[in-house]
Amino acid sequence: MHRVHRDRARRARRAGGEPLTAASRPDGSIKLSGGAIYGTDLDVPGMLWGALVLAPVAHGRIRSIDLAPARAMPGVVAIAAGDVRGLVDGRDGDADRPPFPPEQVTYLHQPIAAVAAPTRAEARAAARAVRADVEPRPPVGDLDALFPEWPAHRVEDPSRVAAHVHARKGDVEAAFRGAATVVAETYRTASVHQVALEPHACLAEVTNDRWHVRTSTQSPFGVRDDITSILGLPESSVVVEGTWVGGGFGGKASGFLEPYALLLARASGRPVRLALSYAEEFRLGRTTLPSVIRLETGVTEGEIVARRVRLLLDVGNSLPGRDFATGYSIGFLLGPYRTPAFEVEGYAVRTNKPPFGPHRAPFAPQAVFAAESHLEAVARAAGLDPVEFKLRHLWREGDRTPFGQPVAPFGLATALEAARATAERWRRDLSPGHGIGIGLGFWSTSNGAGGEARVLLAPKELTIVQGEREMGSGSILIGLVRVAARRTGLPADRIRVEYQDSAHAPFDSGVFGSRTTGALGRAVDEAIVELFRVLGERMHAPGPARLEVVDGRLVAAHGDRREPIEALWTDAEALAGGIATSGRHYGKSGEIDERLVVDGDFYAFTDFTGAAHVAEVDVDRETGSVRVVRYAAFHDAGVVIDLAAARAQIEGGVAMGLGAALTEEAIWSDDARLENAGLVDYRIPTLGEVPPIETHFVEGFAGAGPFGAKGLGEPPIIPVPATVASAVRDASGAHVTELPLTPERVARELKLL
Amino acid sequence: MTAGPVRLTVNGRPTEIAGVPPEERLLDTLRWRLGLKGTKEGCRSGSCGACTVLENGHGLLSCLALTRESEGATITTIEGVATDPVGERVRAAFDAEGAFQCGYCTPGFVMALTGLLKEEGRSATLDQLLEDLNGNLCRCTGYTAIVRAARVAREASP
Repeated sequence: MHRVHRDRARRARRAGGEPLTAASRPDGSIKLSGGAIYGTDLDVPGMLWGALVLAPVAHGRIRSIDLAPARAMPGVVAIAAGDVRGLVDGRDGDADRPPFPPEQVTYLHQPIAAVAAPTRAEARAAARAVRADVEPRPPVGDLDALFPEWPAHRVEDPSRVAAHVHARKGDVEAAFRGAATVVAETYRTASVHQVALEPHACLAEVTNDRWHVRTSTQSPFGVRDDITSILGLPESSVVVEGTWVGGGFGGKASGFLEPYALLLARASGRPVRLALSYAEEFRLGRTTLPSVIRLETGVTEGEIVARRVRLLLDVGNSLPGRDFATGYSIGFLLGPYRTPAFEVEGYAVRTNKPPFGPHRAPFAPQAVFAAESHLEAVARAAGLDPVEFKLRHLWREGDRTPFGQPVAPFGLATALEAARATAERWRRDLSPGHGIGIGLGFWSTSNGAGGEARVLLAPKELTIVQGEREMGSGSILIGLVRVAARRTGLPADRIRVEYQDSAHAPFDSGVFGSRTTGALGRAVDEAIVELFRVLGERMHAPGPARLEVVDGRLVAAHGDRREPIEALWTDAEALAGGIATSGRHYGKSGEIDERLVVDGDFYAFTDFTGAAHVAEVDVDRETGSVRVVRYAAFHDAGVVIDLAAARAQIEGGVAMGLGAALTEEAIWSDDARLENAGLVDYRIPTLGEVPPIETHFVEGFAGAGPFGAKGLGEPPIIPVPATVASAVRDASGAHVTELPLTPERVARELKLL
Repeated sequence: MTAGPVRLTVNGRPTEIAGVPPEERLLDTLRWRLGLKGTKEGCRSGSCGACTVLENGHGLLSCLALTRESEGATITTIEGVATDPVGERVRAAFDAEGAFQCGYCTPGFVMALTGLLKEEGRSATLDQLLEDLNGNLCRCTGYTAIVRAARVAREASP
């Protein structure tokens, strides 16, 4: 363990009373005994198995879908296809989001019907028996084929543009003309998949007018909204109940299988389980899709004078107007750097691939790889030290981002200086052929989302009542409990987290955007502050009371006075089992300087986190293969709420980022077919490929979360591809401009191929 | 003609299971006939290791194993691992080191490591153990805590 951790752990013990150690997560006993029920584990008596009928081509007009052969298959109980208004009592869902495409198939394996039967084998056999007659049209799968002259010519075909953003500041052309050094480069990044080990799965039941679904999700309320929108149901009749989640990483952040399962349950009158096979998970999962990025930077006397950023982001079959990624990705391409003049333009391009979806810090690792690699190239071209060059331009507190948001307390420069010191130390005993790279990244905790929580104070414990399931990061079962423990001073074993379904729980947006401990934690904190106020009032004390444990029971305390809970609760609260209060936290979006915007929606970054990473790699000079030897990560996480959980987020995020850096690439053929829909061909890091990872926290930059916490779910993955690429350049001179850094791509740069 | 029932000893309990077709996989028998959902279905093709159980003390990918081929065998799943002294040490090491997050790969890792330690004990080096664990995938932890747990469990082995 690194000394920084020991110091921090000691300090945390003194401050919070509770030792922060890696021991015994609250979900350990259930997960280590096989008792945790995930979406894939769901079954009830009388249940049917569902299966999706998948489109046979990537693009085409549906002439007919013949369900008769499927109806004739053994066991088939129900089929849902086409116009489903008959199944939902004529209600109209959102016309833009029909469950099954009415006329056009727009991606390969798009669900065009669904069947239910008593066994998995029967359901799948029946699904295969459906005959879909689709008149094929040429699918669009390749950005370069679609826009061969981009960026020389603008993207004109409006049907292919899901979003367009364009902004400029200053006289960019004049600034470039006057620049002493100009570097222009093109980067490409691959499609990556979340690869949660649990594929999507749910179980639906429809009784009377209650549409109930149990599902593995990061956002029960988001799934409820998707169901009501797609099926045209009132919110009051839809109940979403989360299960344990076997990995989400963004892939389970919105509704997916639930409407199909509900339609089958309605049609059959029986509970229906619907789960993807792992090949389907690859084909239909909401991946981050490929990009082409053009970057141009002008420098004079060590100062950035102008930048130009152009982005083509393949968003697959995403609907126009629903793209969030383009404007926000642009921010990562400009980077956390002061820029006096810039022009940025991005297109979200629709292709015949599945819809785009979020993937842990969506597109940020890819954008940052391009931006950081480019700035290293710029620094070298200008004869400057890359780290020094970056440090000189980094946002500091008091600066404004290119779009005008004030930069909040932010430890990125501190992290980068610490990373540089580590790199210098490692360099002293570097093995021949090895190289060291430094990368950085920044993040903004998801704002605009919101959440509410209740606390229930009973004589022996305090219960946090909320509507999110633990995804594994610990944000619910560790984060919320730590917040409550720290505010109340109670030991963690006196604090319980209760999950309730979407019909009962207070609203929350979802476990995504690195927001959960921060935002939902603030709701919990506010509920406790309100509880203390209520207790003080009932004790007729001059201010809020607090809680203590006396003889094994919780008591309200103020000054020298102690009152048992039973002495303070009303008759109604005694019946209900406790005193309840609630809290809420709705994040505010920052504001964009609209004078700069020519077109589209940009994303206002607020509540900044930052990280700098160091990697040592060994590059094989014959094959171009890259081995990461050791790794160190320096993170500004504000005030760390739980050290063990925070370290675990960094270790896991770095490993995932190594996959995106080196091996992970969903390979799409020209006709938009996924060529590697399995774990053998789509390679995520294995145990032997992940090096030792040091984790460090830079302190002193409080965030907007409870007690100054900042989100940490996504930041650890962001700098990884940039860091590895930097190390590969250092080791071998190979300046690879395409992710992932496969042996072939490295070898090509080394002129081995 | 239907074959007779399959006889297995599952987590110490002798069990007769009727009506198992020849193509049924042990994973499905455990999960859907015996209700032992702790054994996880991941890739269903032998690539991820989430379905690992012990057959006569040795690690087995239950998604690739036909149930009828296990006739007469002793099967241990995560639900029964704590009754095995080695299994309990592994379980305790995973708990103490926080060697899981979402927990979906965890039963497979615990069973795989238990099988390796039962076969090799401390005669296997940590590196050998880790090499054998390479067949189990985890997407959450980055393996760092799992490596710590493997070290602790190995050192606790007799």
